[in-house]
Amino acid sequence: MTAPRHVFRWDLDKTYLRTEFDSLGDLIKSAIETAADKQAYPGATALLRTLSTTDGYKVCIVSGSPTQMRTVLAAKLALDGVTYDEFVLKDNLRNILRGRFRALRAQIPYKLPALLASRGGSAPAPAETLFGDDAEADAIVYCLYADLLAGRVDHETLARILSSARAYDDETARTLALARAAPTGDVVRRIVIHLDRRSPPLGFRQFGPRLVPVFNYFQAALVLFADGVLDARQLLFVAFEMLDSGQYHLATLANSLQDLMRRNRLGSETVLRLADEVGAMTTGGLLSARPDLPPFATIARAFTERVRELRGAAPPAWPTDPEPLDYVSLVDHEHDHRRARRRRGHG
Amino acid sequence: MQRIVVDAMGGDHAPEEIVKGAAEASLALPDAELILVGDAEVIGATLPRLRHDGARVRVHHAAQVVEMDEKPGEALAAKPDASILIAAGLVAAGEGDALVSAGNTGASVLACARTWKLIPGVRRAALASVYPTELRRGEKNDPFSLILDVGATIDASAEDLVTFAIMGAAYASLVSRNRRPRVALLSNGTEAGKGPAAVVEAHQLLLEATQLNFIGNVEGLDIPRGVADVIVCNGFVGNVVLKMLEGVSETVVRLARYAHKEKLTWRIGLMALSSALAQLKAVTDWQQYGGAPLLGLEHPFIKAHGRSTAPAITNAIKVAAKASAGDLCGHIGRGLAELSARREGSAP
Repeated sequence: MTAPRHVFRWDLDKTYLRTEFDSLGDLIKSAIETAADKQAYPGATALLRTLSTTDGYKVCIVSGSPTQMRTVLAAKLALDGVTYDEFVLKDNLRNILRGRFRALRAQIPYKLPALLASRGGSAPAPAETLFGDDAEADAIVYCLYADLLAGRVDHETLARILSSARAYDDETARTLALARAAPTGDVVRRIVIHLDRRSPPLGFRQFGPRLVPVFNYFQAALVLFADGVLDARQLLFVAFEMLDSGQYHLATLANSLQDLMRRNRLGSETVLRLADEVGAMTTGGLLSARPDLPPFATIARAFTERVRELRGAAPPAWPTDPEPLDYVSLVDHEHDHRRARRRRGHG
Repeated sequence: MQRIVVDAMGGDHAPEEIVKGAAEASLALPDAELILVGDAEVIGATLPRLRHDGARVRVHHAAQVVEMDEKPGEALAAKPDASILIAAGLVAAGEGDALVSAGNTGASVLACARTWKLIPGVRRAALASVYPTELRRGEKNDPFSLILDVGATIDASAEDLVTFAIMGAAYASLVSRNRRPRVALLSNGTEAGKGPAAVVEAHQLLLEATQLNFIGNVEGLDIPRGVADVIVCNGFVGNVVLKMLEGVSETVVRLARYAHKEKLTWRIGLMALSSALAQLKAVTDWQQYGGAPLLGLEHPFIKAHGRSTAPAITNAIKVAAKASAGDLCGHIGRGLAELSARREGSAP
């Protein structure tokens, strides 16, 4: 079993697929939609395809959608030309048959063991990047997973966290066993949270600079470019899919870049390097002649222009010695927040 | 895509409320880009605390601010890097389509007038303001009538008043979706011969040379009644009228507060009317209409109230986007070109 260089773990609903499940009607609609009806976010398909076709990269999908939707979801991914190495769904029918209704909505007791099982079930990669969204507890689950692997959360604390997350006893026991067995290491390089609800990005600052909230997949691609995971051509592949969608323009892509700079998620030197690389590009390969898309020189100019417009304004600094995350409080807060949303009729 | 430039530093509650309003607009307007001009560090620290769409917001740094109490001419001369000057400059350079500011009115108007060109056929720009009336108008059931000029210039010739009428009608038809707005001249009597020479001459010109729905003269008392949709006057008169109407409104509110404290029976009466008063307040809430457009320049400029909070800024941005998308300045230009052609055709 050859170990991949980098593993990318993706959520599906609201991360890759534009899914509504705030009401019963939304849930029914989502369940009866065909693969062709399902819509991916602009740029997400290009990004996932780029990652899945790069040598040494492995794509694992871990979704809270029920296993009964495997056929239609797999068909959607096939339609989009996305290949993957693992595809894990939630066995909610089993939860219903066992009368475990709390588990139907539970995020952490489902997703954390799924992530640990995936890591423990194959040759461990030295680097991982995780993709989730702001609709559920992805930020908490992914940070917890990262801190567990890095040894920053001990198993006693993990048991308390799972208790706060209303996990059943056997789920707690299984998760603890998986945590003990999973190959450890400070391997989670980046957590990307798609702001489907347009949540204020500052709300995620507590999770530290490793977690980057993004408004769109051009921002995700920019972060991966800065991390050395994507090159400039792969990044433009994502950008062009977004332009093709008609929902983005060169200006909105450049604004997305500036937004990351203002939030201290992307340095001006990285943007200028990207602009240099884009400006020096010629058409060919993935970016073969597309006269309908902006010329490389125009793209490069738009990017450097956004840097210039900030005139060196300093973004907020990150604390040099951040406090460790208090997962029990985070889980309690998330639980209260979800209950409040349900009371207001938002899922 | 409509590119709305926003002076993020102008206004009593800037930059916080301005940035909030723009953030909300980035979610509410599906096809707009908001260009926030001001202190990039402050704006950059404010935006992440708000729900918004980061792809639709762009920040352009400006190091200086014209304060609300500064003298416009002197302030602009002393502060070449003022946010309002940079903002107007961006629109002039083709980087934006329309401008919104809640800052110093004089400085905002002056910055636009110095940086932008007048629409061909316009001699003087006019600042328009809306006023709540009894009657509703247009497809939007708009309760507001438009008064212009309310202070961009002091005096106006008959030609200027006719231009103001054409500009006001174009704005009302686009923003209030009032296809054929009733246009009137403000005077001291409804008869055609009443008023100063410029008004009498303008009356004649509006009747003979335009195809506007000109209903003649109206008096001050007709403004709150909503007799006309567009009321035309010179800047001196318009400013006096507007301030007086605002003063009357504030006095009514103060009297109601006094009545509320003074007698139990009056208090009960006011309580019985409370839902109706709340509805009236909602209808006449100036924060809902966005701001006052400066008409006659080659780009739309919406001057939001200095006391604007986020909802008023969002609405001002929506109005600016609508004016830009509907090519308000083009409408005005075509209206003036038609007037010119008609007058040339009828010349002996």
